[in-house]
Amino acid sequence: MIEALLQALVNGVISGSLLALPALGFSAIFAVLRFPHFAIGALATAGAYGAWVVNARLGLPIAAGVAMAFAVAALLGAALEYGVLDRLGRGGALMKAIGSLALAMVIENVLRFAFGNDLQAFDLPLARDVVFGPIRIGPQQINNLLVALGVMAALWAFLALTPLGRSMRAVADNPDLARLKGVDPRVIALLTVAVGSGLCGVGGTLIGLDTSIDPMTGARILLSVFAAAVLGGLGSIPGAVAGAFVIGIAEELTVLALAPSYRLAVSFVVILAVLTVRPAGLLGSRAA
Amino acid sequence: MTELSRRQMLAAAALAAGTLAMPRILRAQGNGPIKLGTLTPLTGSGGSYGPSMAEVVNRAAAEINAAGGVRGRQIQIISEDDQTNPEAGLRAARKLIDVDGVSAIIGTWASSVTTAVAPVCWQSGVFLATVSGADSITQLPHGGFIIRTQPNTSLQGTKFGEFSAELGAKTVAFMSPQTPFTEAQFKFITEAVTKAGGKTSSLIYDDKKTTLRTEVDQVLRGRPDVIVMGGYTNDTAVLVRDLYRASFRGKLIGFGYAVNKQLVDALPADVSEGIYTLSPSTAAGSGAYAHVAKLLGVDAPDTYSAQCFDHLSLIAMAMAAGQGTTGAVIKDNVRKVAQGGGERVTEAVEGLNLITAGTKVDYDGASGPCDFTEVGDITDAKFRYEQVKAGKVTLLKIA
Repeated sequence: MIEALLQALVNGVISGSLLALPALGFSAIFAVLRFPHFAIGALATAGAYGAWVVNARLGLPIAAGVAMAFAVAALLGAALEYGVLDRLGRGGALMKAIGSLALAMVIENVLRFAFGNDLQAFDLPLARDVVFGPIRIGPQQINNLLVALGVMAALWAFLALTPLGRSMRAVADNPDLARLKGVDPRVIALLTVAVGSGLCGVGGTLIGLDTSIDPMTGARILLSVFAAAVLGGLGSIPGAVAGAFVIGIAEELTVLALAPSYRLAVSFVVILAVLTVRPAGLLGSRAA
Repeated sequence: MTELSRRQMLAAAALAAGTLAMPRILRAQGNGPIKLGTLTPLTGSGGSYGPSMAEVVNRAAAEINAAGGVRGRQIQIISEDDQTNPEAGLRAARKLIDVDGVSAIIGTWASSVTTAVAPVCWQSGVFLATVSGADSITQLPHGGFIIRTQPNTSLQGTKFGEFSAELGAKTVAFMSPQTPFTEAQFKFITEAVTKAGGKTSSLIYDDKKTTLRTEVDQVLRGRPDVIVMGGYTNDTAVLVRDLYRASFRGKLIGFGYAVNKQLVDALPADVSEGIYTLSPSTAAGSGAYAHVAKLLGVDAPDTYSAQCFDHLSLIAMAMAAGQGTTGAVIKDNVRKVAQGGGERVTEAVEGLNLITAGTKVDYDGASGPCDFTEVGDITDAKFRYEQVKAGKVTLLKIA
């Protein structure tokens, strides 16, 4: 039993790391723009297709694919914000949220139109798991975990150490004060959406590397990502990461005790429990 | 812009409401074309089958129209997407029935969609021809408005169980997402395996998960020698990868609609190597099947396209035989053209000519003999046993 528990824990950390990047993107966008961007699932899928084209069609290495995923999703996310969502902003956050849901459907169907419904796999051999005593783990999953951690570290460095990152945090904290200091909130908003969407694109690619991609790849994880972000405290960057790991681990541990079909219910019970005790989420500073 | 007075507005609204309240039949099927709907999964897990299902119906209808239609009336096909999703399917069915006024719906694929759509159909007197397998579907109180050309789950489950035993399995694990046929499927697998002296276990997983590692671990602790996979393509791809990673060395059996070319193409060859699949066999080699191949311009059309071709042929001939175009006419006459002896026909144009000339016909279709029981199940079905070898799905036997 202990072995099963340990294995489920390892599996949970891995699936948590896959959720973490989109959750980070979602939370960052919420922090600065103050609306839940429901198109992140579709943006993750778009990024994954970008990576797939580079890797499977053009035959370039996975690393180039990951970079491409970031670029595709970031550009698409920023274009949608500039072209559509920003204009809806006058109607309030709810209007933007609904608009983003609609955009998600548009993106998904454009991808379906361009690439078809079929599963697409990356040009990557599938390796058997490595066994450490009672625990087994896949080399690809270790890679994914490392990439996810690396991207998170880079994001932290960007936010903490660069002037742009500092401006982003300033706008998230207090947009009016930031404007007085000469920071243009609109530029920062666009930039945040680009970075957040890019993170989703990389997250989608990692999921695709672990499984395969189809137009629904991102839509399937949307609820879990949302749960992770809410759990961690909407708008909190470290919170999103913590939330993703908690949700990932909770979902895997469920399998041991309950029928696996209750997985989603479990994530929502976890949210309910946390929010009852701490309405701001695990690491949120204020109730969002 | 003209201003409408309140009175005019009310009058117009009353008129519009009155039109809607008229018996549906008046609006639907006057002297224009006969309207039939296809409701197939153009997106979602059935998305790789739905487009050709709708396409073959359209092309077969065009053939019938070119040959003079059904007793001189042209057929118009309206195609909708059920998104492999019950809610979306129901919305689309409502649109087909209430707005377009179709007298029959062809093609619902996923059992969950068919289950959602069926009551609306029989309540509106619309005939439903489906390719779904769940036992529960034909047990609904549909009053004859449903037929299906897909063998039901009890039959499929038994075949899966018997095939597992044939492969020498002592311990069979069943892994599946929750579907309307999961329970019956497992029950009949267990029956067949127990009869052969083996035992079974089952695990229901969430088909939206990106990894099934913990589920796989859970199942492998029971040391199964055969795992039967009950999911659709996308989740089965995840499952097969995770079984490979976990170094499972036993045998895998899946549904033919899940372990298909698409899945095999998406996985490295050594991962999919050796997976067995089972699917209802088409009547490959028959005239009707060759006809479907020609209509679609492919070598080997899948069973669902073949079944939809049969649906349209049967519906067209039933309308001709009953000299009417409503769902009730189709319901009352479909068995008269499908079975019970008579001139053997394999497509609608030929059948329609014979029926107009007063000859009794017996349709043998692209998916099989197409004979139906009282509740709408097919009476006879053959299965296709295949195995993935070196990245190709190859035929083992048809039995």
